[in-house]
Amino acid sequence: MSEMTVIEEAEQRGRTDLWPFWRKAYAQGDPLPKLTCQVSRPAYRFDEGDPLPEEYKGLLLRMLRHEGERAGNKSFLGLMGTCAELAEALFPDQETKLLKSEYLAEELKHAIMFHRLAVGLDHGFALKDVPYTHYAFHLPRESWADDALFHFFVDLNGAFHARDWRESSYVPLQKMAPTVERDELGHSEMGYYFLTQICGDKRGKALAQHLLSKWYAAALDMFGRSDSPNVPKFIHWGLKSVGNAEIRQAYKQYADKKLLALGLDLPDEGKNRRFL
Amino acid sequence: MDEIRAAYARFGIEVEAPTTYGTYYRLCCARCKTMEGNVGDKLLPGMIHTLLEEQFDLYAAGLLGCACGHQAERARTLDPARAEAARTRFA
Repeated sequence: MSEMTVIEEAEQRGRTDLWPFWRKAYAQGDPLPKLTCQVSRPAYRFDEGDPLPEEYKGLLLRMLRHEGERAGNKSFLGLMGTCAELAEALFPDQETKLLKSEYLAEELKHAIMFHRLAVGLDHGFALKDVPYTHYAFHLPRESWADDALFHFFVDLNGAFHARDWRESSYVPLQKMAPTVERDELGHSEMGYYFLTQICGDKRGKALAQHLLSKWYAAALDMFGRSDSPNVPKFIHWGLKSVGNAEIRQAYKQYADKKLLALGLDLPDEGKNRRFL
Repeated sequence: MDEIRAAYARFGIEVEAPTTYGTYYRLCCARCKTMEGNVGDKLLPGMIHTLLEEQFDLYAAGLLGCACGHQAERARTLDPARAEAARTRFA
């Protein structure tokens, strides 16, 4: 039995009516939009062990550094530590704490998956510590609502990128993509579930509405500058399908619909933005 | 981190030593030491002041901050009129 089969079996035992949240989200088909490449490009395909062009390998490693979910990345483990601490300190009941522990377990599964990918790509990368540089990972989380918004937005960002990796020219990443996408979408749905509970109360809804402007700007900024000079290279090599502006727009449409369904007002798209 | 510590100190929140492998810091009530959350060390320059200024009303109304009420009291000290307006609005 492979290690991943053992993990899958353990995950099956953790299933409840709620967890994993992706189950309900995918029951009616693909929840995320397909990201279609609009430019003509060569059909590259590289598997583990294949010699990689220098530029390709550099871009792939750059992408994986940003992704961060890697067993050997101390900064990722640190971020997970903060999630556990927040759940212990701020979460309102045992159900939410248990859900958060399932989330942590699933993220650590990703850490194993990305560890294997890193080892197959560059042994030196496997233990490289890469602190998250984007400010969205550093925003203060001072309430359960902050944490719910963090998961709704930040994990959704991960789901959209993983959706794009379904077409990746790097075969190990393309193979992992459906699982990572599904799980990350589920984590976003967990945040959304918490938000639904929080917004069920007048003061909770006021809190979520107020905090939304902080997280909304950061979420849109996470996709980077629309004129990033590296994006055409990523697209050329088959590591991305669309530019930052396109994936940001698709993400925004998806997130806006969900926020409106909660009865929240959408913040001004340009307010507090740092990366346009 | 100095900027972050100073910004939180205004509201009676201490930024504790980094958790696990650094990068992230615990936020604790300066009065009763209860953990209130966390913050990372890679916010953009000036960002924490904007964020906490936008959270002023939440501290004042007790929607954010420690259950002991220290941050709400700090908000009332910093700007009594604004704090009272926030308490009324979120009541």
